[in-house]
Formats: sequence, structure tokens, C-alpha cells
Amino acid sequence: MTENQQKLIDELVNKGLDGDMDAVNAHQDRMVRAKAKSMIMKIQKGILKRPPLKKISPEEVPNGDIVQNQEKKENKQESTSAKVVRKLLEKFPNEIENEEFDSHIQLKPDKWFEIATWLKSEPELFFDSLQCQMGIDVQDDILESRYNLHSMKHNHYVELRIAVSRSNAKIPSVEKIWRVADWFERETYDMLGIEYIGHSDLRRILLPDDWEGWPLRKDYQEQETYHGIIVPKMKEGWE
Amino acid sequence: MGVVHGEEMVLNIGPQHPATHGVLRLQVRTDGEVVSKITPYMGYLHRCFEKHCENVTYEQVIPFTDRCDYLASMSMNFGYVVAMERLMDIKVNERVEYIRIIMAELQRIASHLLCTGVFGLDLGAFTPFLWALRDRERILDLFELTCGARLLYNYMWVGGLSHDLPVGFVESTFKFLDYFEPKIDELENILAHNKILVERSADIGVMPKDIAISYGVTGPNLRASGVKWDLRKDDPYSIYDRFEFDVPIGQGLKGTVGDCWDRFYVRILEIRESVKIVRQALASIPKDGDVHQSLPKKIRPPKGSVYARTETPRGDLGYYIESDGSPIPYRLKMRSPAFTALSVLDEIGGGWLLSDVLAILGSLDIVLGEIDR
Repeated sequence: MTENQQKLIDELVNKGLDGDMDAVNAHQDRMVRAKAKSMIMKIQKGILKRPPLKKISPEEVPNGDIVQNQEKKENKQESTSAKVVRKLLEKFPNEIENEEFDSHIQLKPDKWFEIATWLKSEPELFFDSLQCQMGIDVQDDILESRYNLHSMKHNHYVELRIAVSRSNAKIPSVEKIWRVADWFERETYDMLGIEYIGHSDLRRILLPDDWEGWPLRKDYQEQETYHGIIVPKMKEGWE
Repeated sequence: MGVVHGEEMVLNIGPQHPATHGVLRLQVRTDGEVVSKITPYMGYLHRCFEKHCENVTYEQVIPFTDRCDYLASMSMNFGYVVAMERLMDIKVNERVEYIRIIMAELQRIASHLLCTGVFGLDLGAFTPFLWALRDRERILDLFELTCGARLLYNYMWVGGLSHDLPVGFVESTFKFLDYFEPKIDELENILAHNKILVERSADIGVMPKDIAISYGVTGPNLRASGVKWDLRKDDPYSIYDRFEFDVPIGQGLKGTVGDCWDRFYVRILEIRESVKIVRQALASIPKDGDVHQSLPKKIRPPKGSVYARTETPRGDLGYYIESDGSPIPYRLKMRSPAFTALSVLDEIGGGWLLSDVLAILGSLDIVLGEIDR
């Protein structure tokens, strides 16, 4: 146990002995809570002495520094996101669909290629690296393609999402902008059946060419046989 | 690029071929000995990792991550737990952080040893491969001592570790490092400055900076192209910001920056840096601290998504986890560094001789388990 944690427990014990048990019960860390309660019991039985009264500053709370770090990170993320949104609205009005930009920006598929070109070439943003591209089936007949962009130069990140309906799952390909998107898009096509318009070589990549269906869609049904081999069914639940 | 003079021939290398480092098929178009196009076909090792993850609980995902990159299982575990802890906002205690770093860096040494050894083997040097495996064996012994497994550890858990360090681990690791450090020089002397290896790898398969970034190549391959980018320094996770180490980059000592020799040599330099980190971590590891302290009783992350990256021996490993508030992942995507590294093969491998293509493939250090997932 760290020194800070001991100080925190001491403070909680003092509060509890003074009648403020809510402060002990409301503490988030289960371990601290348990230790403080057992200490109070021992003091009441007379086994232990009451810890000396001490004021602790907020910085010394063990979880304090991580909370601050996270706030910093969120601020940074938000500022990048907000910056992208601000510049996007100037350049491409009516392309953003969501109103909260804390974690991601939701785009319409139509002008995605132009937006992507601009994101990479705009000197203030300069997203030169596509970190990750993935597809997801978000229920209600919607498939989403998500892009995690990163700039090596400015060291900032942004997450973009493009939603399309299953019946018209078509998104412009960005293979020519970030070459890594070539295989990423093939993989998403392979797993979810999102068609990337303008991709030069849109084939299945991990599954065989003649496989049927899109495995990572939530309503996927395995085919009965594959070249005469019976396809084993996914078991209900795992033992 | 080679000019096509005669009749083209299509040649399949693999799927069962020692030079492809696993079950990978390279379809190459050749004109005589000159390769004009390489089309990789993979999926032979596809075990539906992402589909399985949508049917098991978050704890049960960890053994799957082991089996993706089976040469660096610790690093794969590490990436997953970092992502999960960020999603669930768990803070682990100091001892756990130190043990994780020690394990991840030992794993990096083991993985790089295998890579450099196998690279030599690809180019016809058999002895260094045995030397590298001999030393890797000692690291695997240390892992076995810690968690009982030699290859697939399932060691790092969300919020902690499966076991604490065994008695005598710190001493044995120091002993190993003392033994190992002179061996790095031996390995470097027999391989890096060997005339045959230099002739076979210098100036071959040059990967320029912008190509590397555009293809999403990361890790030692990117650094060999002269980009000083390491997540441990540039976006520190865990407690990497406390350690002193350098980020080696390719300098083109024997040829051009970003050639096969640079990619190979950066790994040897990284082994030295990892040794430094392990030494520092062993020296300052806290004595007390329960490795099970922050283990959550039930893993139920809040609704939302997280994308977290860590630096594995092969590059940036990203986990994208989408949670719907249940104990089972809604969607889990692994962004594999070897996947992107293989995609660049056609770009940098065209125009070289057939034997050079195998050298280039060896220098990219791919693991098929991670590509196919």
C-alpha cells in the first residue's frame, strides 16, 4: 500500500469516527473503503489507536493525478476534434451529422473522398497516417466504417465515422490517399460487405474467394457446406 | 523497375515454404529472375479471432490475443489490457506496472532475437540462428518461471497479473542480462558486418519515409526508414516515461536509409535499449503491492469505445473495442502491425531479384498469426 493511500484511509477513518460514515461509503475505491471500515471497527474495539488528524491536499489523493491526466487528454482530443469540425464546416458545410464532437465526428458518405484528400493536405491538420480502419454493424440496419487518423507531424488524433444503410452499403474508397486503406478496406469488405467505390482491387482478403455472407454482421448465418465439407455451427454459449 | 524483355512467368512461393515464415502464399510475376509484381495471399491461418471475441467475455479474450502474435504474446496481452483499463478507467498499482514493463521488454528482446536470427537464416547464415535461439531460450525459461508457460502466457489480466514474480526472479534476470549483453556484440559481429549479409541486404528493398507512413508501416520498420517515432516515447502508455532509453533509427551505414540492412540493424540496437529498460525497471521495482489488487470482480465496461495503441516488437498494435455495457465485447478490432507491413511488400519488392524479395520479406519481420488473426 502506498503512503498516499494510507493517508487517505486515515482521513476517511477520522471522518467516520466523527459520525460522517457517508464519506467512507461514498469512496470509489473498494480496497480503501474496506480497509477504512475495518480500521474503524478495530478502533471502536480498542485494538488500534485513532490515527492523527491530518489535512491532505487534493494532489495527494492516489486517483488525483490520473483524473487530471485524463482531463488533459480529453481537452486535447476535444480541441483536435473541434478544430477539425470548425475547418470542415468552413470547407464542406452540411457534411457533419452529429452535434457532440467529444469522441468522434460523424460524416456523410457522399463527399468522403474530397474530405479525406483535404484532411491529408490541409497544413494545419495534416493527417498523414491512417492508424486504423474498421467496420461495425451498429444494428437498426446501419453499418459503420470508422477511421482513426493520426498526424505524425502534429501528433494529434481524430476519429471519423461514416454510417451507411445495409441496402446501400457504399462508401468512397480512400485507398489512393492513404495506401494502407487498400488492405483495411478489403478486410472490412470481407467481414461486413461494405463496398468501397473506387477501390482498385476489392476482393476478399482473409476468407476464401467463394465464401458466402459477411461474418461480422450480427445476422450472419454460416453456410451449410463448403466444398462438400460441413461447416461447424457456432455453439450457443461457451462452456 | 525491371523492364519486361521476355515471357512473364507466374510463380507461387508457399503456402508451405520456410522463407515465408508461416503459411503465406506469394504469387510473383517474374521475368527471368526479376520480379515485377508480388501478390500476397493470406488467410491460411485465419482463426476468426474477431468473430470469436463477440461470443466470449472480456477475460476470455486474453488467450486469443496470445495466439495472434505467438512470438510476442506478452506484448499482445499488454496492448489489450492497456485498452481495457483505459475503457474501464482502472489504475493498477506500481508493482504491476513495473512487472508488465519488464515482461514486455524481455519479450521484445526474445522477438527481435528470433527475427535477426531468422533473417540470417534466410540469407544463408545458419550459426547465428542457433545462437539467437539459445539466448531466446533463457528468456523463455524466465517466463516459464513466472507463469508456467513458454509461448502463450495469458499472463497480463485486466487490472493486474495472473501471478506475482517468483522468488529469485530479479536475481535470475540480472544474471541473464549479465550473460546476455556480451552475446549481443557477438551476434552483431557475426551478422551485421558480415560481407555476405551486407552484400545481400544493403541498398536492397529501400523503403522511403513517405511510402512507409502512407502504408501504415510502424515499429522498427518505420524507424529504419529514418522516422524517429516510438509510442513508448511519443505517446507514453503505462510508465514508459520514467525510463531512460534511446530510439534508434536507420542511418544507412552500409547503404541507403531504409534498406534491408537498416531494418535488421535497428532491431539489434533495440535489443540493447530494451536491456537498458529492463535493468532500470528491475533496479527500482517496488517490493510491496498485490498484483490482484485492482482486478475487477466482473468486467462490465461502460458503454462506449476506445482505441488504444501500444508498441509491440513489430510496431503499433491497436485495439479498437466497442462496448455496449454487457460483459461481452460488441466488436473488437485488432489493428495488426504485421498486416500493414506485409501490404508494403509489393511496393518495395517490385524490380528486385527473386532472392532479394525473400530478404525483403525476412527484414519486414512478419508473423502470420497476427496477419490472419
